[in-house]
Amino acid sequence: MENLLNIAIFLPLLGAILVGIVRNEKFSKVVSLSISSVVFLIILYLFLNFDWSAQGFQYVTKLNWIPSLGISYHVGVDGMAISLLLMTSLVFVSAFLWSLKIEDRPNLYFALFLALETACLGVFSALDLFLFYLFWEGMLIPMYFIIGLWGHDRKVYAANKFFVYTFFGSVFLLLGLASIVVYGYIMTGTISFDYTFHMAFSYPMFLQIAGFLLFGLGFAVKIPMWPVHTWLPDAHVEAPTAGSMVLAAVLLKMGTYGFVRYSLPLFPDASKYFIPLIFFLSVVAIIYTAMMAIAQTHIKRLIAYSSISHMGVVTLGTFAMDLNALNGAIYMMIAHGLSSAALFMSAGFIYDRVHSYHMDDLGGLARYVPKLAVFFMISGLAGIGFPGLAGFVAEFLVFLGTYKNFPVWAFIAGVGIVLSAAYFLYMYKRVMFEEETLSEYRLEKWKQLKDLELHHMLSFILIIASAFIMGLYPYPFVKIIEHTSRYVLGG
Amino acid sequence: MNWNAVIPELVLALGILLVFVLDLFSDKKHYRLLSVISALVPIASLISLLFVQYPARTLFDLFEVNALNLLGKAILYILTSLAIFSMHDYYEKKGSVYTELSYLPLLSTLGLSILISSANLVLVFVSLELASIGMYVMVSLLRDDYLSKEAGYKYLMIGSVGTSMLALGSVFYYASTGSLFLKEYRDENSLFLLSMFLLLSALALKASAVPYHFWTPDAYEGAPTPITGYLSSVPKVALYFLLVELLGYFYHLKQWLILVAILSILSMFYANFVAYTQRSVKRLMAYSTIAHAGYFLLGLSLADPQLQKALLFYVSLYAFASLGTFTIMSVLEKRSGFSHHILDYRGLYKDHPILASLFALFLFAFIGIPPMALFVGKLTLFMGLVNNMLLPLAIALVLASILSAGYYLRVVVSLFLQEGERRFPPAKVSGGEALTLLLCSLLMVLLGIFPNLLYDLIKL
Repeated sequence: MENLLNIAIFLPLLGAILVGIVRNEKFSKVVSLSISSVVFLIILYLFLNFDWSAQGFQYVTKLNWIPSLGISYHVGVDGMAISLLLMTSLVFVSAFLWSLKIEDRPNLYFALFLALETACLGVFSALDLFLFYLFWEGMLIPMYFIIGLWGHDRKVYAANKFFVYTFFGSVFLLLGLASIVVYGYIMTGTISFDYTFHMAFSYPMFLQIAGFLLFGLGFAVKIPMWPVHTWLPDAHVEAPTAGSMVLAAVLLKMGTYGFVRYSLPLFPDASKYFIPLIFFLSVVAIIYTAMMAIAQTHIKRLIAYSSISHMGVVTLGTFAMDLNALNGAIYMMIAHGLSSAALFMSAGFIYDRVHSYHMDDLGGLARYVPKLAVFFMISGLAGIGFPGLAGFVAEFLVFLGTYKNFPVWAFIAGVGIVLSAAYFLYMYKRVMFEEETLSEYRLEKWKQLKDLELHHMLSFILIIASAFIMGLYPYPFVKIIEHTSRYVLGG
Repeated sequence: MNWNAVIPELVLALGILLVFVLDLFSDKKHYRLLSVISALVPIASLISLLFVQYPARTLFDLFEVNALNLLGKAILYILTSLAIFSMHDYYEKKGSVYTELSYLPLLSTLGLSILISSANLVLVFVSLELASIGMYVMVSLLRDDYLSKEAGYKYLMIGSVGTSMLALGSVFYYASTGSLFLKEYRDENSLFLLSMFLLLSALALKASAVPYHFWTPDAYEGAPTPITGYLSSVPKVALYFLLVELLGYFYHLKQWLILVAILSILSMFYANFVAYTQRSVKRLMAYSTIAHAGYFLLGLSLADPQLQKALLFYVSLYAFASLGTFTIMSVLEKRSGFSHHILDYRGLYKDHPILASLFALFLFAFIGIPPMALFVGKLTLFMGLVNNMLLPLAIALVLASILSAGYYLRVVVSLFLQEGERRFPPAKVSGGEALTLLLCSLLMVLLGIFPNLLYDLIKL
């Protein structure tokens, strides 16, 4: 069982190497799809066998790695990690399904995505700070090339912006890691990067504050929180569809995951101290970016802004210091992972067919691509938290919890949720309906459009079915997430 | 006389004589064979290291052997051998075959090898000169090339200033202590201080730290590219092994820390800013060397074993990355009409996917992105600084690293994400170059994942 987790993490990397060596288009596609499916099944098996009544990390492997620096290969999962792993592996399966028809340098494309998958799975399972950082940075290079090589017009600009922002953030994260490791060394005389070693500490306030800010800056850039969010719309707009899917569904979660995994348990007092700041930033993110989203005419940019807004809800729930709110925040990470992936697929599909993301160039599509219209609508509703879908449970829990401790903040943030319905419905109307505004030329063109193909449908169904399951029967998921929330909040 | 301690140097010296004699009696067409022979000489020295009994002192105690400097020598020999292996094809393609080239690098390496074993300032002076003179010649070897001549001249001129500083420093050292042996003297009189200042300056000049860096961009740019690879790797390793030794004698001076901190901060920030304005990738890499001199000097700020271990680990790996980078450049330069202007690097990925990927690997290593080994170097150095409460220096290191990401990325962007405007004939990678590239890149990844393979060998 322990080895299954390791296999799941490194299988994609192995696949990447294979794909790189064989360099056969068909082989790349088959291998990536089958490896990601196997990984998904392994993680599903681990998820189903997860013992949520037992405390602590499960499926743990700990091996000596660099003993002179106190670094070990230490992986394991708790409730939050296993849920995120499940979501990650699922999104990768759909991303590969979605990319089956790619023609531009497919070998490199699939190799990079496979390498990226290893990095993502690694981040969520690492229990050693060094290992965590290794995986955290490991995703940077594949993503850089994915945006830079397969992106749209301003891909180089977006890739560089993405790289410089995230690199900037992660260096601060590194500073934070190093400062707590050094403190541990000064206090105990042993140098250790082990997460569980540091969990046992209670740091003095000055270190907590410094650590919180340094870690927090690293995480905030990745989430991204307002005001360090400006790389995200550019990266999303330029990235290829599967890249946007992974970026929104998985990479952004690394930041929020970091807050729950590291900031809250390691720096509990500083976390309380910074609640007003985090709340302020979250609420600004929720409302300001939702308003920005309303103003967009570019559908991908709109979805990108909506992601930032939803991430605001996650950070709000994380720091509400309430079990329900934290459960909701973690739930939201997964729910948003699903809905944003589905939304980016819809946008990507539209681009594939019509070659434009601009609402002015679209309109009236619902009649000509009806299957897409259905999936797009469900994805959007999942995104804005429609009852019956995962997002609703998440938002409900976050606001329930936040309202208990911070009613005013909860109320202000709630306004943002209303806005989210506005921007999505407005976009949907302009893209899918408004048939009467179509010119002759476009009408002619729309008639030729081909609707979703089988591999598109499969991609959508995988994700949307999960969103429904999580929305209709949240109990087991909340239970497994609570496994993490309880110890994070010290209960 | 304990001959055992100098076996590696003897092997090297005999090898040089052998190649020299062979060169006298053979034509230019045997150049390739001569190169291969001379590349094998350092390997022989490397093997002979196994027979050295250490610790030992010999040559009237001038020459010292211990575990640390043996490791330094091992790294020097490997680097030299790789550098020579990757040279010959370049010169043949350039049509300028100088058979001297097959032993000149060995001569310099001999000097450097003695340098890191020196326990006396006279030997430091002599060995450093032996190394430098070889390098002056190598830099200016493309006689028909204006840049090469200019580079050699400039390197010689500024190098001589370094020599005089070293000589003057030694004199003051003698004046204040009555001996030229490097020992721990607790004197803090002004002569001793002055000697410290001059010696450090002379070595900082060789290490291309700001404000003694002026020769670096020109020498790097003008030198034949494989020689630039040699310059940027072998002497650097030797210098820092010597500097770590020297630190043991001077660290108690209050001014040491200040001086080192000033040198390193100036180097890091000056070079990282100026690198942005460079159009030539070769020159850009020269500024990257200067910036790295800044990072390395941070490791000398205090006599802390962890810091020095980090420094030596970092500099050794840096040397491999640097040799790899310049080897790629020299492969590219073999194509007719190729200049190192950044525009010529555009779209390299299309023609040479493997070369471009390796180049990117080294560049990402320079930025300090895991899993490349230079990341571990930066991390351990940083941890050492924080551990010694040198927080401002640690923060400077981080800021400078962030700052540097931009110009390395610009090269990556041209390699992969832009379309080339000029077309060049395809470059052929010779066996020697392939070997060098393979080994350098493998080490970069392997030691990034298992750093303790090397880290634990560095025993202070």
